[in-house]
Order: sequence, then C-alpha cells, then structure tokens
Amino acid sequence: MRPVVVAGVGMIPFERRDEDSLMDMLATAGLNAMDDAGLGDRPIDSVYVGNMASGLFNHQVSVASALVDRLSLLPAAADRVENGPASGGSAIKNGFLAVASGFNDVVLVVGGEKMREVIGPKATDIVACMTHPQAEYIYGVTLPAMAGMFARLYMEKYGVTREHLSMVAIKNQTNGLLNPYAHIQMKITMEGILSHPQSHINSPVVADPIHLYDCCPVSDGAAAVLLTTEEIANKLKKPLVTIDGIGQATDTHTLQERSDPTDLKAVTLASEQAFKMAGIKPKDIDVAELHDAFTILEIAESEHAGFFPKGEGAKALERGETQIGGKLPINPSGGLKARGHPVGATGVAQVVELVWQLRGEAGERQVKGAANGFSLNFGGFGNNVLAFVLRRKS
Amino acid sequence: MKTITAYKCNKCGLVMYPYHDRCLNCKGRDFKEIAPTSKGKLLTYTVIEQLPWGMDERGRVLGVVEFDNGVKALGLIKDDAPRIGMKLKVNWEPVREMGGEEIFGLTFVKTK
Repeated sequence: MRPVVVAGVGMIPFERRDEDSLMDMLATAGLNAMDDAGLGDRPIDSVYVGNMASGLFNHQVSVASALVDRLSLLPAAADRVENGPASGGSAIKNGFLAVASGFNDVVLVVGGEKMREVIGPKATDIVACMTHPQAEYIYGVTLPAMAGMFARLYMEKYGVTREHLSMVAIKNQTNGLLNPYAHIQMKITMEGILSHPQSHINSPVVADPIHLYDCCPVSDGAAAVLLTTEEIANKLKKPLVTIDGIGQATDTHTLQERSDPTDLKAVTLASEQAFKMAGIKPKDIDVAELHDAFTILEIAESEHAGFFPKGEGAKALERGETQIGGKLPINPSGGLKARGHPVGATGVAQVVELVWQLRGEAGERQVKGAANGFSLNFGGFGNNVLAFVLRRKS
Repeated sequence: MKTITAYKCNKCGLVMYPYHDRCLNCKGRDFKEIAPTSKGKLLTYTVIEQLPWGMDERGRVLGVVEFDNGVKALGLIKDDAPRIGMKLKVNWEPVREMGGEEIFGLTFVKTK
C-alpha cells in the first residue's frame, strides 16, 4: 500500500440549519476541502459520501450521485457509504483504500446528515432503527437507553459517578466554546447540571442514569477530506498529514449477547489494529477525538482504546489529564457533546479536527506541538467501530 | 404461553437470542429451539423518559433479563423500583402499537 495524505479538509458549522438542504451542506463542505488543498480544477477520481439515513430524514437517496453533479465532478465514481453512526469513518476507510491501492489518485470523502428536518422524537426513532428489529426496537429502546443500561453497569463495576459524567460534559462544552464549528456554544457548571437541588430542571433524565447533559445534541452538518498520494500532495500547498493506521472491528448486534456488556471489544480491537498498522503506541498520541455521543462513552473508550487501564479513565479525567494542556487532550473540538453529531458527518469531522491540530491550525484550542492524532468512530452501540491514527510528516 | 424462540447450539451448547445463522462460538449451523424459562433475574435496566415518536408515555423501564436456563433478552419491566439482581417472572403482552397494530413482546414483574 502507498501512503495516503489528507491534503485538504473542510467543514461547515454544525447547528440547526433550516436554510440548507442536505445537498447544500455536503457540497459546501466538499468545496471547502478541495479549496483547502488548493486543488484548483484538477480532476477527482472518486467521491465517497458517509450518510446514515437521508432516505428517512430527508426523503432523498443516491446522495453521492447527486453530489458529484452539484460539484461538477462528473464523470467521477461516486458511492454512498452507510454504516450507522460510523458512516463517516467507513467512508474515509473506503477513500483511503482507493488511494492506498493505486486504484485512485485523488478522492473526496464527504460525511453529512440533516437530522433537524424531522421533530426530535422522530429523529430518536430513526436512530433507533439501527437496533435489532425484534429483540430491541419493538420495546421502544433508544440509543440513550442503550447508553443508560451500559452506564449503569459501567458505573457500578468501575466506580464511575454522575460527577465524572458531568466532568466530561463540562470539559467538552468548555472546549466547544473555542471551536467556531461547534453546535453548542454554552458554558456549563457542575452546579447547573448536577449539584444544585434544582439542576434536574436544566438536565432532566433522558434514560436513567443518562441525563440531558450526558447526550450529544441532534445536529445538521457536514465535513470533508481530500485524500491523495504523497506525490500529488507535494505539489499542493498544505503541510503533509498522513493516515498511518486504520482499524475496524464489529461486535454482537445486541448488548445482551456480549459475555461482558461493559467490555467494548470492538473498540479495543479496532484501536489495536490502527496502532499496529501505524507502528506507534497509545502513549505516542498527542491528541484524541473520541466518540462521546454519551459522556460515559468518552470514559469507556479512553480505556478500551489503550490510553488508560480499565477503571482509570475517570481518574485521569478527574486529574485534568484529558483537558487541553493535559497529558492527553481528548476532544479539544468539543467532541460530539459540543460540536454536535450529525451522524454521517461525525467520523469525518473527527479526522478534520485532527488534521487542523496536526497542522497547527486549530486556533485557540490548539494542542501545542501535536504530531500524532487518534480518532474513534463508534457505530451502533459499539457493534461497528473504526479507529484512525494520523501523523504529521516532519 | 407464547414467547420468544431462543436457540441452543447442538455442537457446543451456546444459548443465543436473537437468531444467528451460525453459532457465535463454534460456527455450528444446527440449533435446538428453546423457550426461556418462566423466571429470571435483572442484569441491567434503564428508565426512559424520552421515548421515540409514536410512544406517548414517560418512565418506561426496559431491562436485560437472564432467564434461569441462560437465555438473555431485553424486555419491558413492569416495576417502579427496579434493581439489578431482582427476580422476575415473564409474561407475553402488548409492548407497543405500530401502524395501528398491537405488537407483543416480553414483559416482566417482580417475583420471589
């Protein structure tokens, strides 16, 4: 396989975007990535679009074909990649393989989702369609409910408290204030979301023990990366950041069939593969973007990915090690919690953030001297997970 | 009583629910259909306050139950004070209405 460079990145701010269609968002993010790379009018061989549910949210399918038309990239190859909340990660994997194999030289990967076209409970239902139709969905299970059942066990086993969960929310919303692309721009305090007798009014139960401020918002948004070879990237203008490792692993569809439901095996395996391929270790990572759709997941993933031993993630968080300026800053972008989680966009947005960090372009939230980055895109409830290692070429 | 169908691998004995075409442990393809026993214990649960579209209620308790014969399944817990480890008895009742039709599933109440 030949090295693959992320030569350009682009995003649009994640928020409720009533004025934009899904296609408007995908097109703008895609153009931003092409322009960031300084691609000009050079041709693109192939386009991958990460999107979970445009048919259900927006009554539009075949969105990759529509996008190449909008961007005048004809006759480029175009595919939509659907892998639940890991659609963005899977789209990048496909783009990576196309370039690494020599099949394509220039590939555009765009992830996006327009979720706010439907009302909240409808969005909850659409997302719940990824659960098992007979064994889970019919009972009214939601993704926050899966997180609630997981969190109850994890908290009991490892001594994680609601205070720890709130610390994740506060850290990530604080980081989000430094990210102009983040959906949630609001400072929160422990008193406001947990310790005040009336904090439950601000942060009501969604699926006990998961409260409102343990959940990512429902967002519209899109993000894009332009992937190419070292040879072509050297002719463009940006510092080289390469995708050095990719891992992907799956686990049982239902939580109950895992011998230990607190063990996120797919996270461990995907991360191990990505580190092995990159030839570096978790201790070499300077900045990480984890999939904190629920606060408990940031803690659990930080352990399963190999950054901390099991049960130590919450302690590292307590010591401030995962803040910007700490030993391993996690989610300097604000994560899903603050940046938002337009499902198909997330895996791509995580890689965009890493590229900004590794190039030193992350502004006020810059992790100083970051050279090695890691991202984790968590699909289903941990049944399909992708991990990425990115490095700045010196 | 009508209930779910679980599957026991004829080669290695693994009990599975829902259905898989090959055993999750040994890849075997022959299974014996088994019904869950009448009682089990609660492994984990959540109380859902924000339900999906079409379900107009609050405080719905869902949990994973391990039956005495090893079958594990998600179901509706009809108890206001659930706790991990509590003993439950199973029923087969409507759990949701979809498209004007009542959908039946596993429900559980406390037992000794």
